[in-house]
Amino acid sequence: MSYEAFLADEPVIVTAALTGGVHGKEANPNLPETPEEIGQAAAAVEDAGASVVHLHARRPNGERSFETDRFQEIDDAVRRHADDVIVQHSTGGTGAPADVRHLPLRTDPPPEMASLDMGPLNRYDHLTSENSRALIDSLHAEMVDRGIKPELEVFNDGHLNELYGLCERRDLADPVYATLIFGPGTLSRPRPRNLLNAIDSLPDDAAFNTIGFGRHQLPFATMGILFGGHVRVGLEDNVYYRRGELAESNAQLVERVVRVARELGREVASPSQARDLLGLRE
Amino acid sequence: MACPYLAYRTQAGDAQFDEPRAYCTVADRFVQAMRADICNDRYGLAHDEHCEIYLGCADDGGGGTDQRRDRSGGNP
Repeated sequence: MSYEAFLADEPVIVTAALTGGVHGKEANPNLPETPEEIGQAAAAVEDAGASVVHLHARRPNGERSFETDRFQEIDDAVRRHADDVIVQHSTGGTGAPADVRHLPLRTDPPPEMASLDMGPLNRYDHLTSENSRALIDSLHAEMVDRGIKPELEVFNDGHLNELYGLCERRDLADPVYATLIFGPGTLSRPRPRNLLNAIDSLPDDAAFNTIGFGRHQLPFATMGILFGGHVRVGLEDNVYYRRGELAESNAQLVERVVRVARELGREVASPSQARDLLGLRE
Repeated sequence: MACPYLAYRTQAGDAQFDEPRAYCTVADRFVQAMRADICNDRYGLAHDEHCEIYLGCADDGGGGTDQRRDRSGGNP
């Protein structure tokens, strides 16, 4: 995927990361945490143009949950409120043991997609989210068994090597779908040339999704649209609409990136179009 | 065992919540969801290994004292 995809009028898939597992309502009170709030947010972002919702689960007090039952409650709420949006579960979880990391894959039905972190990243001052190759392979194996499309999360350039390693170790269905992530800390430095380099480094025929954390969300989404990729926005990655102004909702962030895409001449993919582009099972 | 500086509150400053949330009495703020797992020593995480706030207090000689715990309003 490249600028050619932009010239070819390929629609852009907008993913909305609704809640996340790091910050919560203490950072922005508009961030949805309960299943009902997440279900309503999913419907709102679908109406705004998102075709994929990226989901984490939380306890009633906003703390992280990895339990299958909690993901099931959220999925049920999403399907109750939204029409046809693609459900993507996170399998991320700093500090969580390997068996716990598998639990989000075991809902009924399984999510159509799930994230797969490509390697280690530092958290705070004394913690590393390890994401060993053994865990990545184990999560991928269960995704294959359950018909789940992996979204390969590339937090830095080293993870591009890990993506190639995964492709050598395991049989990945086409298209390989990589999310290129830019921001502080262990992430790739958020510079345009680094996005271009990452795109150039992807396997042939891979599709890519673009995330910029914090203030980089809008510029990196815009570049992702122009360079023929897909984009992710939402309160998981950025709680502000502009400097000093908290976002009112996930839908507000989706509406803006949809306006940008259309101004740049790219239509936004419906859930059905997104399934075709990603090779998902109907 | 949970961090002695952890409290659960529904209100602090302008912030108000329906469910009691994890609050760090050293940092004087509600903590992120991921950090709350460190505060509660969940999933193999440990406040005395992974939390720079706790470790900073321990370096200052104040780690885990009863006086601090009392000031926090107690643990859940």
